[in-house]
Formats: sequence, C-alpha cells, structure tokens
Amino acid sequence: MLKRLLTVRNLIILVAIVALFVISGLLGLGAYKPVVELAAPVVFHIGPFSVTNAIFCAWLAMLLLIIVSWLATRRMPKNLEAASNTDLVPKGIQNVMETIIEVVYDLVKDIAGPKVSKFFPIVMTIFLFVLVSNWFDVLPGFGTIGKLEHPTEEMATNGYIAKGAILTSQPAASPQEGYVMVSLFRPPSTDLNFTLGLAIISVGLSWYFGIRAQGASFFKQFLDVSAFKKGPMGVVQNFAGLLEFVGQFTRIISFSFRLFGNIFAGEVLLAVMAFLIPYIASLPFYGLEVFVGFIQAVVFMMLTLVFFVTATMGHGSEEHQ
Amino acid sequence: MDINVARNFAAALAIGLGAIGPGIGMGILGSKAMEAIGRNPEATGQIQTNMILGFAFTEAIAIYALVVALIIKFV
Repeated sequence: MLKRLLTVRNLIILVAIVALFVISGLLGLGAYKPVVELAAPVVFHIGPFSVTNAIFCAWLAMLLLIIVSWLATRRMPKNLEAASNTDLVPKGIQNVMETIIEVVYDLVKDIAGPKVSKFFPIVMTIFLFVLVSNWFDVLPGFGTIGKLEHPTEEMATNGYIAKGAILTSQPAASPQEGYVMVSLFRPPSTDLNFTLGLAIISVGLSWYFGIRAQGASFFKQFLDVSAFKKGPMGVVQNFAGLLEFVGQFTRIISFSFRLFGNIFAGEVLLAVMAFLIPYIASLPFYGLEVFVGFIQAVVFMMLTLVFFVTATMGHGSEEHQ
Repeated sequence: MDINVARNFAAALAIGLGAIGPGIGMGILGSKAMEAIGRNPEATGQIQTNMILGFAFTEAIAIYALVVALIIKFV
C-alpha cells in the first residue's frame, strides 16, 4: 500500500508542506497569541456611522446571497404557463438552489403542515443568512487580514513586532512598539447584536403570527381570567401562564446566546489551535466548524419554525376538558 | 489572591463544571434515541430530527457556561 501512496503528486505536496514550514521559520513568521475581543471593533467610518467588522461582513453575506439568487433565477422563463418543458429544466446554479429549497421545503412541510406557504419564506431566509454567516468563519482571510494598530489599555498585551505589513510572533517590549491586528473580516454571527436582532425578529414574528391566527385569545395562554371560576386549577393555570410569559423572553436570550456562543467559541478555538501548532492542529477543527455552523443554522431555523407553529396552533388544544 | 489568578480559576471552573450537566443530558438523549431507532428502524428520520432538536436545547446550556467563562477571561 505504501507504494500506492508514494506517487509523484503526493511527493510534491509533501515537499511543498515542508518548504512552507522551513520558509516561515526562516522569515521569522509565526502565529501569535490571539487577542480575543468579545465586542466587534470598529474598522472604518462612513460619515457619522461607524462600521464594525461584523457589520461589514453581514453586508458581504447579504451581497453574496443577492448575487447567488440573481444568478439562479436569471434563466427562468418569465411566463411559466407558456414555457415549453425543455425550457423549465434547471441547469447549473439554478439546479443547486432548487435542490436546497426543495429539501428545506419538505422539512418545513413536515413540521408546519398546511401553513407552509406563510412560514417558508422567512424561515428559509433566516436559514440561508445564518448559514452563510456561520460558514464565513472557515474561509481563509477571516481573522487573518486586517489593520495593524497599537494595543489599547484593555488588551493587556504589549503587541508584537511587525515587519512591514506582516505581524510576526516576537513580543514587543512596549505598547508603542508593538502592534496588534484588528481583523477586517469577522463572521457576523460572532457579534451578539446580530444574533440578538435575529432572535427578536423570530420571537416577535411568532407573536405576530399567533395574534393574527388566534386574535385576542392568543393572550389566554398567559392570563386566563375565566379559569379562576373553575376552582383551584385556575390559579395553577394562571401561574403557569405567568411562567410561560417569562419564558417568551428567555427564548430571545436562549436563541441569541446559542448561536453567538457556538460560532464565537469556534472562532476562538480556531485561532488558539493555529497558535499552538500552525498549519496542522487547526485542520480537524475546521471540519468541526463546518459541521457546527451547519447544525446551528438548521437548529435556529427549526426552533423558529416550531415556535411559529405552536403560536398559531394555540395552546387551547392542550387544555384539560 | 491576585485578580488575574482568580480570573483564570473562575473561567476554568465556569466551563468545567458547567459542561458536566449538559454532557450527561446529551448522553441520556442519545442513548434513548438509539434505543428508539433499534426498536423501530422505519422511524429513523423522525427520531433523528427530534434528537438533533433535543441536542440543540441541551447544548445551549453548555454554551451559556462557555460564554460566561469567555466574559470572565476576556472582558
């Protein structure tokens, strides 16, 4: 079996890897200890509006999704009735997007039943946006391309020596000499503002759908005055309703922290692994990050969908009669 | 005790103890899901979907502990 592995192509790859190590050792390049910032730092200003790197990458994610959807739909015939069957066959990127949409549509139909056409657009949008934001984390350049700045007081480090535009791993003696890199790219889901905004939209929309479907009796799950007449069970039911009301707000916190914690911890993990053993140790963690990013997008979408469905289905169906 | 030493201790304890509960919970969840699939292999798809949903909820608790540890260490 060893003979099958020792082809010319594999030997060239091996030599290239060793050369990479040797050259970066000779040039004094090294992975520095990552500076972890919980809040996204500001990278540039547009007039009075300060843009952080997470906002900038959220714009990039939106741009990417808009371009992909334009590319996927530009060959679709405008008049679907009059198009011949061969015109309707999708090719290329349209085919890929149609596959993705069909898989998610089946999943949504499983959970939502007849209301799928109302819920599917917003749920699919949330899924695609969160998926693209999570997968930005594994692209090369995220966390490594940025501006060099002197370290501030709160970073508690002296920075590293910079050779021209490249930051090495030799620690500097004072904050005036040393530089710290402020990354230009950062996946938007690592910013708590982004995840909190999405969580508020999800929970707010579940209230909106619930009120539209059930009218004012949507609030009966929280405070049911007529249940007091039924005796002591009414008190218990109203207490449970109060807990349910508080639970709506903890849903917002739980949504936002789940997504933020997973992706932020993944980003920190990748940076620390790259610091420990460069080029090698972060490889299995990249695989983990791809998987975790996908799962978190699916979970956000499914939980949003489940909350929409329970809000419109009504808690009246679980009452003891 | 120096504040930085206390910070490191606090961050380590936060995530270390905080991962015990969700770990046990996810183990129980996974084992029940495996049992259910073993009993009824036709329902594997539905069981898997609900298992992933359950994983997400319990993992969120561990993520809260991780976020607290990160805040203690880096903020």
